[in-house]
Formats: sequence, structure tokens, C-alpha cells
Amino acid sequence: MKNLEESIFLEPATLAEALRFQADEATRGLPLAGGTDLMVQWEAGVRMAPSRVLNLKGLAELHGLSVAGGSLVIGAGVTHAMLRRSPLVRQHAPSLAEAAATVGGAQIQALGTIGGSIGNASPAGDLAPSLLVAHADVEVASVRGARRLALSKFLVGYRKLDLAPDELILRFHVPVLPAGASETWRKLGPRAAQAISKVMGSYRGRVENGHIADFAVALGSVAPTAIRLPQTEAWLRGRALNADTLDGAEQRASAEVTPIADIRSTAEYRRWVSGRLVRGFLEHLASL
Amino acid sequence: MSKIIRTWTVNGESRTAEFPPMRRLLDVLRENLGLKGTKEGCGEGECGACSVLLNGEPVTSCLIAAGQVPDGAELLTVEGLEQTEGGRLLQKLYVEKGAAQCGFCIPGMLIASYAYLRNGARDPAETALRDAHAGNICRCTGYAKIVEAVQAAAEQWPAKEVNRNQ
Ligand SMILES: Cc1cc2nc3c(=O)[nH]c(=O)nc-3n(C[C@H](O)[C@H](O)[C@H](O)COP(=O)(O)OP(=O)(O)OC[C@H]3O[C@@H](n4cnc5c(N)ncnc54)[C@H](O)[C@@H]3O)c2cc1C
Ligand code: FES
Ligand code: FES
Repeated sequence: MKNLEESIFLEPATLAEALRFQADEATRGLPLAGGTDLMVQWEAGVRMAPSRVLNLKGLAELHGLSVAGGSLVIGAGVTHAMLRRSPLVRQHAPSLAEAAATVGGAQIQALGTIGGSIGNASPAGDLAPSLLVAHADVEVASVRGARRLALSKFLVGYRKLDLAPDELILRFHVPVLPAGASETWRKLGPRAAQAISKVMGSYRGRVENGHIADFAVALGSVAPTAIRLPQTEAWLRGRALNADTLDGAEQRASAEVTPIADIRSTAEYRRWVSGRLVRGFLEHLASL
Repeated sequence: MSKIIRTWTVNGESRTAEFPPMRRLLDVLRENLGLKGTKEGCGEGECGACSVLLNGEPVTSCLIAAGQVPDGAELLTVEGLEQTEGGRLLQKLYVEKGAAQCGFCIPGMLIASYAYLRNGARDPAETALRDAHAGNICRCTGYAKIVEAVQAAAEQWPAKEVNRNQ
């Protein structure tokens, strides 16, 4: 196998320069952000050393974190450590901060980025559910121009994104938690840190006079991508937040997901846990 | 590919190294700079033995292409810890409490402890302390002695070595 040390290392100083490299197949490099997925895949030999690597670390354009137009705008290069610590993220998308705080350990959080987490396109990526329940958009760009689309459309399938070879992920637009709404994130894995989830997910919801006014829930590791549960959500909307509703939601959520069995868990267990997670989210919503 | 040259501040000293940019930071530290205190356990980010501080944050040096570390970056390895008051305190307390057995995880564990304490955290419940060491695996000690050593260091931590992240 080709040695990684032979790969050509492209070091664009600006986003425009990076996009020019990516525009042509003859100069294009594999984007490298925190390397916490790529370096492992190369080390383990499950991915070939690429001809060229495009270093994203130096691109200031990928590093912003701000609130604009009712949304958190999070650059693709923002790390898990920054998400976890940011007062803006903790206030406006608390479940995203919670999710980032359980990715790997401190060392992985300092390296891994939100762009890499979504760019890796794994159904076990811990950040996607919180972005999905917030109806987040992703903004991508190439020399042909920029475009913005819903993350739910961007996550096409297992390891598949709606991202052209010449495009880079620039940033995420995450609508802020509305007044009166709440959200949280839960993960089930063999241990709290440094372990890939068996099932995890987030919700964002709001209660009005004891009835569910809004409820969005997304789970990871139960389908080829992280997914929302539209049938369970629709059934819940307008319902009284009581014991019958919790039972019904748990059953519906278990029935709605179609997980697979793999080395980390069985399909049956994931189905059961999915229902329990949704029940737990409703209990969280009811406790506020 | 052809080599690149980088100049970093390593353990307080300006050091220059020449290497293929995709070489792991771990290998540049050990082979190019001769700093063999940093260990390789797994090579996959799981064990934390290769941890160093990069601009004040603990990172696994086995997952970093050294070319990604720009000129002027500040690196602190276990060798550099000995030059700090906090590092010497940790060294003393790890020994006193029996927190090291085979010692292989210790360079990375000390880096995690130092990063945690330098943040100014005080944590009687141990939750944050354990969280700060969650990326470091020790197959010998069972962690209890390590937690004791870090708690003891927290009590005596030198105020001038507190430097909170944002
Ligand atoms: C020990 C360990 C524990 C881990 N634990 C967890 C965990 O608990 N939960 C979890 O979710 N993940 C975990 N991970 C995986 C990993 O940390 C995340 O997926 C991480 O966020 C990836 O980000 P990165 O910047 O390191 O990506 P990289 O490895 O640099 O890149 C990942 C992919 O995204 C692409 N990419 C990156 N940025 C862009 C961009 N701007 N535009 C286009 N493509 C891009 C790359 O080309 C590559 O295909 C763990 C990893 C390790 C090593
Ligand atoms: S050697 Fe780097 S984490 Fe194990
Ligand atoms: S002391 Fe042996 S691995 Fe920690």
C-alpha cells in the first residue's frame, strides 16, 4: 500500500484557493480537518493513502461561531471542544453542546470538527440528531458558487452526502431554541466516553397548556443516516402530555425505526432502546 | 512528497524540524526531535498515551499530520512538564500515591491531568476530573490512585499556573 508520507499536502491559505484546488480532478485533494476519522482509517488500513490531501486547518473562513438571523452559524472547522464550551451554543442549541461533550475524550474533542462529523457521513456521528431536530441547514461551496440546503436532504444515505467532488462544507445554520422550548441529547453506548453509540438522539419540543405544541425527534445508528421520526412526531402533536401518550409514543417510535444488527448491537435492542429514548425525551419535556 | 520545515515552540524552546507533511506529529516528536517520552499505545486515538498539549489543549499526537501544525505553534510534551511547577507537583503526587505501575500510560495521563488542573477546575464530585481523563486508558492501576493524585494536586495547585480556556 502507498505510504501516507508520500501523499501531496495542499495548504491553501484561503477558502478561494482551496476551492480552486478542488475545482479540477487533477489538483483536487481529500479534505483533512481534525483527522480523527481519516487518520484512524489510514492507520487501520481500511482506506488507501490519497494522492493529495487538502489541509483545512488553516482556513479562517471555516472557523466562525456566531448568531445571525435567528440562527447559530457554526463554521465547519469548529471543534467539539469549542461547541461544548461556547456560551452561544449552550444557550441556543444546548443538545448540540451536550452531544459534543461526549464525543471521544478531551483529546478527540480538541481535534474533531463538526464539518468532519457530518463529512464522515456515518449514522453513528453524534452531532447529526441535534442538528436535525433544530431543522439546521448546511452551506456548501465550490468555484461554481455556494448553495444552502436542509441537513436532512444533505444526508443521502450510508456514507453518502449530497456533496459534489469539488464542493466543501462551509458552515451550518442552526435555528436557535425558541422561547419556551426545550431540548436534550442522550446516548447509549458501552461506556460514556470514547465509545461509538449503539443508539443516540435528540429532541426539541414545546408544551402549551399541558399539550405538545411542537415535537421533533431524531435518532442515530438506527438507519443508514441519522433520521427524524415523522410518524411519531405527527402522532404526538397536539396530544396531552400524559402516561398514555408516553406509552403510545414509545411503541410508535420502536415501530418506526428499522435498525440493523452489527458488531455494536442487535436490531431488536436498538428498536427497543429507540422507544425508551423517545419516552425519556417526553419525560424530560414534561419535567420542565 | 518532499519535506517541509516547521518551527514550533516545543517545551518552551524554539525547535525546527524537517519532515514529510503527512508524518504523524507523534513520529516527528519522537524521531525528528528525539522526545521519546511521548508513547504510542494504539495509534488510533483510543488510548491517549501519545497525548501532548497543542496550544494549551490536550490532543492525541498519533491523529495529527504534523504538516497541519503551523509555524509558531506551542507544544508541551511530558519532558516539558518537568519544567513547570504544576508538572513537578503532579510527578511527586503520582509517585506518592502509587498512581503509576508499568508507566506506559503515564506521559499521556500526566498531560491530561495538567491540562485539567491548569484550567482551574476544582471538582469534589470527581465528575469533571474523570471526564478530563476519559481519553486516557490505563490497564494497570484501576484509576483510583490516579484520581487521588490529581485531587491532591488540585489542593496544592500553584495559582500562577491557572489559564482557563476561553
Ligand atoms: C478515539 C475516538 C473516539 C471517537 N468517539 C466519537 C464519538 O463518541 N462520537 C462521534 O460522533 N464520533 C466519534 N469519533 C469520530 C470523530 O471524532 C468525529 O467523526 C469527528 O467529528 C470527525 O471530525 P474531523 O474533523 O476529525 O474529521 P476528519 O477525519 O478530518 O474528516 C472526516 C471526513 O469529513 C470530510 N470533511 C471534513 N471537513 C470537511 C469539509 N469542511 N468539507 C467537506 N468534507 C469535509 C473528510 O474529507 C473526511 O471524509 C471518535 C474518533 C476517535 C478517534
Ligand atoms: S497512541 Fe495515540 S491515542 Fe493511542
Ligand atoms: S500504569 Fe500501566 S498502563 Fe497505566
